[in-house]
Amino acid sequence: MSFLQFAWDWLKSSSQWSGPDGIPIRVLQHLGYTALSVLIAAVIALPIGLLIGHYRRGGFAAVNVANVWRAIPTLGLLILMVVLLGFSALTWLIPLVVLAIPPILVNTYEGVAGVDEDLKDAARGMGMTQWQVLWKVELPVAIPLIMLGLRTSAIFVVATATIAAEIGLGGLGRYIIDGLASNNYGEVAGGAVVIVVLALAVQVIFVGLRRLVVPTGLREQARASR
Amino acid sequence: MITFENVTKRYPDGTVAVDSLDLEVPDGKIMVLVGPSGCGKTTSLRMINRLVEPTSGRILLDGTNVLDAKPSQLRRGIGYVIQQTGLFPHRTIEDNIATVPFLNGVARRQARERARDLMQLVGLDAATMARRYPYQLSGGQQQRVGVARALAADPPVLLMDEPFSAVDPIVRATLQDELIRLQAELHKTVVLVTHDVEEAIKVGDQVAVFRPGGHLAQVDSPERLLGAPVDDYVRDFVGFDRGIRRLSFFPATDLVLATQTVLPGTTTAADAIAVARRENEAWVLVTDTGRAPRGWLAVADLQALPPATRIADVGMAPIGHTFRPDTDSLRAALDATILSRTERAVAVDDNGQVLGTTSYERLRTAIAAAEDAADRGAQPAVGTPQVEQAEGVH
Amino acid sequence: MEWSWIPQNWTAIWQYTLDNALLGLIPPVIGLLISVPAGIACVLWGWLYPPVLSLSSAIYALPSLALFVVLIDYTGLGNLTVIIPLALFSLCILIPTVVDGLRSVPDSVRQAATAMGFTQVRRLVQVELPLAVPVIIAGMRVAVVSSISLASVGQLIGVSSLGYFFIDGFQRDFPTEIYVGLALTIALALVCDLILVTLRAVLTPWSRGRQRDSSRAVAAVAVGTEA
Repeated sequence: MSFLQFAWDWLKSSSQWSGPDGIPIRVLQHLGYTALSVLIAAVIALPIGLLIGHYRRGGFAAVNVANVWRAIPTLGLLILMVVLLGFSALTWLIPLVVLAIPPILVNTYEGVAGVDEDLKDAARGMGMTQWQVLWKVELPVAIPLIMLGLRTSAIFVVATATIAAEIGLGGLGRYIIDGLASNNYGEVAGGAVVIVVLALAVQVIFVGLRRLVVPTGLREQARASR
Repeated sequence: MITFENVTKRYPDGTVAVDSLDLEVPDGKIMVLVGPSGCGKTTSLRMINRLVEPTSGRILLDGTNVLDAKPSQLRRGIGYVIQQTGLFPHRTIEDNIATVPFLNGVARRQARERARDLMQLVGLDAATMARRYPYQLSGGQQQRVGVARALAADPPVLLMDEPFSAVDPIVRATLQDELIRLQAELHKTVVLVTHDVEEAIKVGDQVAVFRPGGHLAQVDSPERLLGAPVDDYVRDFVGFDRGIRRLSFFPATDLVLATQTVLPGTTTAADAIAVARRENEAWVLVTDTGRAPRGWLAVADLQALPPATRIADVGMAPIGHTFRPDTDSLRAALDATILSRTERAVAVDDNGQVLGTTSYERLRTAIAAAEDAADRGAQPAVGTPQVEQAEGVH
Repeated sequence: MEWSWIPQNWTAIWQYTLDNALLGLIPPVIGLLISVPAGIACVLWGWLYPPVLSLSSAIYALPSLALFVVLIDYTGLGNLTVIIPLALFSLCILIPTVVDGLRSVPDSVRQAATAMGFTQVRRLVQVELPLAVPVIIAGMRVAVVSSISLASVGQLIGVSSLGYFFIDGFQRDFPTEIYVGLALTIALALVCDLILVTLRAVLTPWSRGRQRDSSRAVAAVAVGTEA
């Protein structure tokens, strides 16, 4: 039987769609972990990113942090957390948040720091305070990149949450990990399909969000300059 | 020779950049296209090397339509210099200059040698700069490299699009002088675009003034442009002080100089006064033994002195400004006269020796004569400085 | 942390490091070989780029484990099952990188090249591509470092890498292995990063004056693609 057949057979069965191990619950779990981690990461990274972007300091450090972060193997980090903290909520939350921070941080920094100096000058010349410049001028212009940072962050968290099933986390990764352990290839295949759909759905949500949040003028400008 | 035959460029959104342009660019001369932003001068320039293609009409390069040749071949025979230089950051200066020869298959060593020769030609020291990269050079130096690069394949035609607009005024003036000097050696057919009418007048043999909308207002020599602007637009575009600026084009060789009142320091006060009276002049110019100018003396002051005093020993007024009739224009002579406290300017030769003096009166005559000749379409005469025919004390 | 474990298991450590290195380096190279012509095509035919970009953003969003699993059916449980998805991810990073790199060439340079008589192809190869090298190397750094760290996930489906030490250490409750695995993965990634940085410095002696641009480029590429 092929992969698709395995997946289809497993997905067809109604028992997959109900109960504590059912797909809906797992989807909600997965989305929950993702949303929570990205939210916490945003609460931490957005202010820092805005500040270092506004004062144009620490950008170099931020970029290097991002580079080092990429080198960290997520599986290793998750397992390390278990060694250090045992099995608790923080065990998976900390790594997820830590992995979610760099994209938000770097993109926010880039977004704010990349605002035209002339724009900031004109604003300050009109009598705006530092705070107003940040809030009214830099932030709106930086929103596309900030959204990109949040979106990228979500990608990594969805992927890492999948792997975190290895250390006992719920969510959709469970199907793959449990399925591999019990040689139930149908579960593995079905789980993979659901994950792919979820990941794409999250992307679609962000595209929609972007349309809502990014000022139209900026969007058209970006499209025209491409 | 480059010919525009009823050339029009219309863009899809309706803007007309160039409208029915007829223009002839003479061989071996610098033709400057000048006008405000959006007047079509750059578009016209870029139609010559086919970076832009005309909507209608033809552009002929030595009789062949530029659209007939293969674009890359056409362009290898035309030098192109732009404001931002467009130097390749990833190649050394000498390799930058040798770009077109490389494209044409010239051997590496040969092409690089030629590049180094060209560097010397444009005033860059090949020994230190050949293997540097563009980012290590100043704006003015980069632009010189740009010009060298355009000349590398020895093209008969050179196109320049606001080449000196991105550098500061001092460097710009130097580069303009360099271009004039280069042209005197190389005699390329140059088409230069600028928005600076001063640059056009300084550098151009012929100047084509564009109107917004892509029309030609006037094509003429710089002197004619200043002397006879065809309408209010051109008059306003050319700017103030036309009359005075026009004087730059009249050589000072036509000036009739006063020589009798130029006296060596050994002359006595009495003799000096006698000469001045005879010539009806209020000032005499004192020279030293080498005939270099030393200062002016007022006749009124001489009269107060013992008659036998040598004029060299008297306190003098400064000579003010000098000018060279063989190389300077009437404008320089006039300027020198205005700047001198004595309202007289001293004409010297290339050794600094006095040839004579001039005054407002004499300038007035010379200016009127030059303008008459120019208006009648005659070329201003080029010759030796003219001196008054008279016996004098020498 | 039991230090003695390291010399005792030197062969295994070396073997797994090598495995990880291969799994980390082959995909970006494949990605590069495909993305350069693909990127050039997207620049030459601009209409190609938006759909390519959307597709690559979508693929990049997929968790690696899911992709590994999908491939099991087609390529079994060998290295290829890990290499192919990682190569896909590298492509998702590198195609936009190549396109951005080519587009970052100043207009004046491109115009000057055309005006001197470069044909479009020649200009791309002799002028634009060399100038895009710093940006492309920045993208390679991201692709290589990501691949090296993602390779360890393959251990979950049994494909050998430094991830072995994570799983084994986890199952045997032996933290030393985990620490070693982490340290080696990160070290391997940073060494490869350093090699690429050196490569860039060697290949582009002319960009000494432009260090700022490359760190910008790394940042821009490092954190995602835009659809």
